[in-house]
Amino acid sequence: MASRILTRPLFAPQLASPLRRAAATQIRLAATKPYSDAPHANTIISKPGHESIINSTSADAYELLVAQRKNRPIAPHLSIYQPQLTWYSSAANRITGVTLSGLIYLYFMGYAAGLPLDSATVAASFGAFPYGVKLLTKFGLAAPFTYHSWNSCRHLVWDTGRMLDLKNYYRSGYAMLAVTAATTLWLVYV
Amino acid sequence: MSMLRTGLRAAPKARVFSTTATRAILPAGPQVIDGTVNDAAKIPETNPTHGSYHWSFERLISVALVPLTVAPFAAGSLHPITDAVLGATLVMHSHIGFQNCIVDYIPHRKYPKSLKAAKWALNGATAVVLYGLYEFETNDVGITEACKRIWKA
Repeated sequence: MASRILTRPLFAPQLASPLRRAAATQIRLAATKPYSDAPHANTIISKPGHESIINSTSADAYELLVAQRKNRPIAPHLSIYQPQLTWYSSAANRITGVTLSGLIYLYFMGYAAGLPLDSATVAASFGAFPYGVKLLTKFGLAAPFTYHSWNSCRHLVWDTGRMLDLKNYYRSGYAMLAVTAATTLWLVYV
Repeated sequence: MSMLRTGLRAAPKARVFSTTATRAILPAGPQVIDGTVNDAAKIPETNPTHGSYHWSFERLISVALVPLTVAPFAAGSLHPITDAVLGATLVMHSHIGFQNCIVDYIPHRKYPKSLKAAKWALNGATAVVLYGLYEFETNDVGITEACKRIWKA
């Protein structure tokens, strides 16, 4: 069965013509069986100022649908959702985890590949850095580590089914942030 | 031919009810039209190894990491075997975490081959990391001692 595709833009001004009403009833996209029809000659019916109707195969309809879908926008999600401790802390947990694990993976892959990453070399190089760089590096490593560790404790508590309501969520969240700050300072300075 | 033209028109385009332009972060993936809108959604086959056992194992590793990490630093350096266990558990924890990210961000329906490739790339990376960890434990001072020395350097 031939499929007829309306080729005028979707938001064109409405044309009060019998041709448009006729065309509207003939929109059929046979996207279910893309290659089952035998192709036949295209015929174009067009009048000046009116839409054109093209007879085409369902294979063309499939291709056209695919092309249309590629241009469709996605509704915003992360950019419009109100910042909340819930999803920010969850995202931060994943980001810190991936960063730390990524560093571990890179280090041991480099070590396996023969790069000069033994502890003596790294300790010597790190010791030679200026104090500010050392401080920044330590903060940059200690903060994600402590955040991820303390937040994972919350996750383990949730896995037992406890403290899953909003009030306790926020309580544990703020407590976790406080303990993270304290532990980071302790790790860096003590 | 018309598809090429629509694909190349990647510049920001105005939407109907908005005045600002829109630009997708990633290009649209390969479009797969599978059946009709009236077909029931496919349910993935259930398997406890990939389901509840995986979940339990993941939590077990996470719980085990707490004493394994704190103990060596609290009690000074410990036995090299505990250190190796800490390293291996850490790598397993990282592997499971990366697996979760891969499964979350590369949906099977849209990118089946990329998903498989990413999973196997992760397996390869973890194998190399485990080998590197073994070499580190044998040739070097161990994770906890190395961390202490570098931190206090």
